[in-house]
Amino acid sequence: MPCERKPMRYGHSEGHTDVCFDDTGKYIVTCGSDGDVRIWESLDDDDPKSINVGEKAYSLALKNGKLVTAASNNTVQIHTFPEGDPDGILTRFTTNATHITYNSSGSRVAAGSSDFMVKVVEMYDSSQQKTLRGHTAPILSVTFDPKDEFLASASCDGSVAVWKIEEQTQVTSWPLLQKSNDVINAKSLCRLAWQPKAAKLLAVPVETTVQLYQRDSWAQVGTLSDDLGTQAINVVAWSPCGKFLAAGSIGGLLTVWDVESKLCVERQTHEKGYTVCGLAWHPSGGQIAYTDTEGCLGVLDGLSSSSSSSSTTTSSTMTKQAPASYDDLFDDDDDRPLDEGISEGARSPAKNPGDEDDDDDLIPATGRARNRSAFLDDENSLDTGSLKQGLDKFVDDVGSAIVLPAAVAAPLRPVYDGPMPTPPQKAFQPGSTPAHLMHRFMMWNSVGIVRGYNDDQDNAIDVEFHDTAVHHAMHLTNSLGHTVADLSQEAVLLACPGTDELASKLQCLHFSSWDTNKEWMVDLPKGEDVQALCLGQGWAAAATSALMLRLFSIGGMQRELFSLPGPVVCIAGHGEQLLVVYHRGTGFDGEQALGVQLLQFGQKRRQVIHGEPLPLSRKSHLSWLGFTAEGTPCFIDSEGVVRLLNRSLGNMWTPVCNTRDNCKGKSDHYWVVGVHENPQQLRCIPCKGSRYPPTLPRPAVAVLPFKLPLCQTTTEKGQMEEQYWRSVLLHNHYGFLSSSGYEIDEEGQSQAQKEQQELLMKMFALSCKLEREFRSVELAELMTQNVVTLAIRYASRSGRMALAQRLSDLALEKANQLQGEEPQEEEEEPLQYTRRNTGYSQSSSEMGADRQHSSHRQAQEEEVDEEQGQEEHMDEGDVAESKRQGLNPFAKGTAASPEKPSPKPVSKEGRVNPFKVSSGLGRSGSAGGQNRVTNVLDSMMSSSKKPTALLSSSGSTGKLNKTPFLKPLAPRPKTKTQSTLLHMNAPKAANKKAAEEREPAVCRLKQTEAPPPASPAEDVENKKHKSGFQLWLEDNRRIILADNPDLEETDVIKEAIGRFRTLSADDRLTWTERAKGQSGDVADMKKRKRGEESRGDKNGQSEADETRQSEADETSAKKKKPLDTSTKLSAFAFNKN
Amino acid sequence: MDPSEVEFLAEKEVVKIIPNFSLDKIYLIGGDLGPFNPGLPVDVPVWLALNLKQRQKCRIVPPEWMDVEKLEEIRELERKEDTFTPVPSPYYMELTKLLLNHASDNIPKADEIRTLVKDIWDTRIAKLRLSADSFISQQEAHAKLDNLTLMEINTTRSFLLDTLNCMYKLRSNLQPGSKYISDVV
Repeated sequence: MPCERKPMRYGHSEGHTDVCFDDTGKYIVTCGSDGDVRIWESLDDDDPKSINVGEKAYSLALKNGKLVTAASNNTVQIHTFPEGDPDGILTRFTTNATHITYNSSGSRVAAGSSDFMVKVVEMYDSSQQKTLRGHTAPILSVTFDPKDEFLASASCDGSVAVWKIEEQTQVTSWPLLQKSNDVINAKSLCRLAWQPKAAKLLAVPVETTVQLYQRDSWAQVGTLSDDLGTQAINVVAWSPCGKFLAAGSIGGLLTVWDVESKLCVERQTHEKGYTVCGLAWHPSGGQIAYTDTEGCLGVLDGLSSSSSSSSTTTSSTMTKQAPASYDDLFDDDDDRPLDEGISEGARSPAKNPGDEDDDDDLIPATGRARNRSAFLDDENSLDTGSLKQGLDKFVDDVGSAIVLPAAVAAPLRPVYDGPMPTPPQKAFQPGSTPAHLMHRFMMWNSVGIVRGYNDDQDNAIDVEFHDTAVHHAMHLTNSLGHTVADLSQEAVLLACPGTDELASKLQCLHFSSWDTNKEWMVDLPKGEDVQALCLGQGWAAAATSALMLRLFSIGGMQRELFSLPGPVVCIAGHGEQLLVVYHRGTGFDGEQALGVQLLQFGQKRRQVIHGEPLPLSRKSHLSWLGFTAEGTPCFIDSEGVVRLLNRSLGNMWTPVCNTRDNCKGKSDHYWVVGVHENPQQLRCIPCKGSRYPPTLPRPAVAVLPFKLPLCQTTTEKGQMEEQYWRSVLLHNHYGFLSSSGYEIDEEGQSQAQKEQQELLMKMFALSCKLEREFRSVELAELMTQNVVTLAIRYASRSGRMALAQRLSDLALEKANQLQGEEPQEEEEEPLQYTRRNTGYSQSSSEMGADRQHSSHRQAQEEEVDEEQGQEEHMDEGDVAESKRQGLNPFAKGTAASPEKPSPKPVSKEGRVNPFKVSSGLGRSGSAGGQNRVTNVLDSMMSSSKKPTALLSSSGSTGKLNKTPFLKPLAPRPKTKTQSTLLHMNAPKAANKKAAEEREPAVCRLKQTEAPPPASPAEDVENKKHKSGFQLWLEDNRRIILADNPDLEETDVIKEAIGRFRTLSADDRLTWTERAKGQSGDVADMKKRKRGEESRGDKNGQSEADETRQSEADETSAKKKKPLDTSTKLSAFAFNKN
Repeated sequence: MDPSEVEFLAEKEVVKIIPNFSLDKIYLIGGDLGPFNPGLPVDVPVWLALNLKQRQKCRIVPPEWMDVEKLEEIRELERKEDTFTPVPSPYYMELTKLLLNHASDNIPKADEIRTLVKDIWDTRIAKLRLSADSFISQQEAHAKLDNLTLMEINTTRSFLLDTLNCMYKLRSNLQPGSKYISDVV
């Protein structure tokens, strides 16, 4: 028993409509927002009789030849039927009536009005009125109890009330509906219906279900629902027999239930999915007339068997219109305006029967078994493989009414409870508001705003630039009907979809062109529509419905074109990058299956992201796609999560912000217009209670901060971690920009690095405080070398010796890495520097001509000292050494450091200062190099391999290998600290060189293994070298470099000399004295660097050594000491080569 | 104080503008302003906002209270209460005048706002007159008036003080023959 859905026909202009049958069922009577009441003899009636009742008609009721209408002039009027002569005014309200209805006998009329009142008026005497007051918002609908005792009403205040008419009192009331402030804003019209005849049940449409309330007890006795009905039900109507209930929903779904069994016996979808706002049963029960908000009238025919033969449980045939239902599903998942997120593709199958098979196959069936008393009557569905065998015979009989018990039908039905496909989201333009709006933003980006107006007087486009320096504002008439637009610093790109006559057009206003022709236009091939477009630097791209992406030069030349792997969702361009998002496949259960491609044009054309899935939040769709101002791809989904491409993490997407977290209300949204990485800003427009801003009043941009969704961001640790990783992520673009040849903001980059290192240091300090030393080391691994030095200092100051030790290892490792990275870069320059140094240190050399007075030592030259010490203290007991090792925070570092080239007793190595080894290595060529290899491998971690390999290969040039460390003297801010540490080495190298020059015989150590001869030679140099100025320079080099970052080394020294001269005489004297090391007091020396101390120790090498040892013992107790040691350690790291 | 002086003070108030030009931070004695990014709201003093507006370099975002609904509420409250109610801004009158005169195109429902602010002003001034009247008629020594803005005080101060002085003089002159006064009155 199929019911036939007759094609719709236009009855009224767009807007609210209502429908009813006359008593005999001969006529269908409709009213609409054009103010006319039309009387149709049948649906095919070409010339319906028309009665004008006012400017607008809101509702009508017809009984006993009296037509009652609610018109916009706030009256309820009577007309005779079918003549249509005015027959007086029944009642008036202060505003228009929203719904009117007759009682069963036709003696009374009830009318609900927007002025919160319900009136019950006697037909024969309109002065006999009863007013029901109590609702606090406009009345949505009214219905009479068939026994005339009660009246039910629904109101925008969210309540459904039952009144006792005679007493004019409220009997009961249920808060069932969503509140709204007016009928037009109400989600549903909520047309109530009282069961005729038996009058036992009151049907109330609540959301997607119909609730049944029992008379007198007023308890809810049942709910009628339909799995396919995902949209609110607007109207309900009882069949005249009272056994069936029909409902029409917002989404155009018409459902008929058998009330007793609560089974859905009939389901139809409005052919265009418009909202059904009027519903009436034919008095015979065999026909349902319905109207929609677009003014169309439709009829469902052939219900007679199901409704009249109601004694049996009927199984009516149902047409399942899967695609249309998906629309409903989708709309429900997402409370956006109907046409926004839904793909064209989802609807087209409905129009094109050929596609339906596929869809049906995809979703064999929906709903639960109890609704399964229906079959597909669609001929196209005959071959559905998903239907079970047993069904075939029924399907064969399609077209004839099959009456069989539901019990039989139900089990035969293939039950499919699995995932449901999501309708693919429609193509959209990021930064635009929905196309159906009359006034909309066609584009809002960082360049400007394109607004589209499409109202009665005007169809125009306004282009406005944020920066008026780019171009003045433009006003264009939109004669072509452009729907998509993009805007860049160079051009405005517009496109319109094709029509039957006209092809889809792409129009470009290239306002930055230097010639006089500022505009070009391209027609697309017939049948191909532009769906998305974007502008880059010097190019424009358009994605079309033919799954193609067409590239144009900005001047209008056609460039490459390529096929897209799926229907486009949106595209975005920036510079030479093009980002394409398309449908990769069918998503299920509300998810979208999107793929993304990132292409790079310009010199090196390549695909950076090869169609990988786009990671959206669950059950969300894409709502914005674009680039940050710095050129990092970025997208936002409907859940408000902003994700940024993390180029340093294999092009993964990292969520950086959730705009919904910043919303106050649940229905508030942020409409994003731009993302900036530096400064970290998410520019968006707050929209109260909507997803999109209106064009007027002009919305103001707000700025949201980024926040990585790390755990425990309320704790200090979490906060700092979040800050650090955010900073790292958002400064990735520097790497990208420099690699693709853009200029980058060096200052910003170094600032960012500084900030990151600061954060690391803070986190380090925090984890130290929390006694998390392992974590501290982990943090230190992220630090740069000079910050590790600070960390070492911090650790040793706070008495964490084990930590400091590990850190010093780490520092060593890092130094090696660094070394490996920049090995032979500057072989030449250092030599010059050496010479220079030698030259100026000559003056001071006179002071200590005597080599035996070698007690003045520099920190850098300790190694020499140490070696001598070693020689002299060879006999020292193991006990002392082991003790030293235990106490010295750097004992491990010492032990781990490469031993000196000459074979020595093991005991020595324990106490030996690591620096001596490096010096030995530096001096002794290949032999030393070899020795080092083994030692280094023993003591160092894996990362040290590279440098050692390098070193061993460099062999005899070991000495020269030191020179690369001078490089950091070049004014790069990052290496500033290094240079201060390193500059100590420079003099040493110079000294050594000088030493070699002067005493070649003694100093040629390359082949020999015995360092001692070398040390005396160097001692001379040490002494010579050490001047007050030198010391001062050591301390102040950093300041000088900071002040004049681009000074060459020579200039630095010149500058330093200048500054030194400006010092007061006293100061200079102090420095000189220090250089001379007049004071032998160790305590005094503590403030100085360790090297100075040892130098200051006049009393001879042995004493110096002892001092050092004792100092080493004291280190843990002293604050300054470890600091110095650490400095030295890092200096050592540089010495290594 | 001259009303223009009060207005001058009001010009130090901060207002949001949306510039249509790009400029780095500018460093002024009163503090740093900017940076100015086209399309991005930035806080500047009213004097600069008006200057930029006159050169068509920006759009002014009206202050939050400059909204018909909020002002209506304030007006109702002001009418209901006998005392002075807190005003949305200590310079509400001056700001309204300045912004509406120079940037009425950026302020939605400018005319309504003008009327509303004028209503509030009138109500308050009426209260002020009333309280001055009762102050004098009851010969009070002091009175407490909360929530008065600078401009409102200035409208009444010179006149009120002069008047009080004058009256004091008259009274003290007539002190000896107080009987005479009562006769006359």
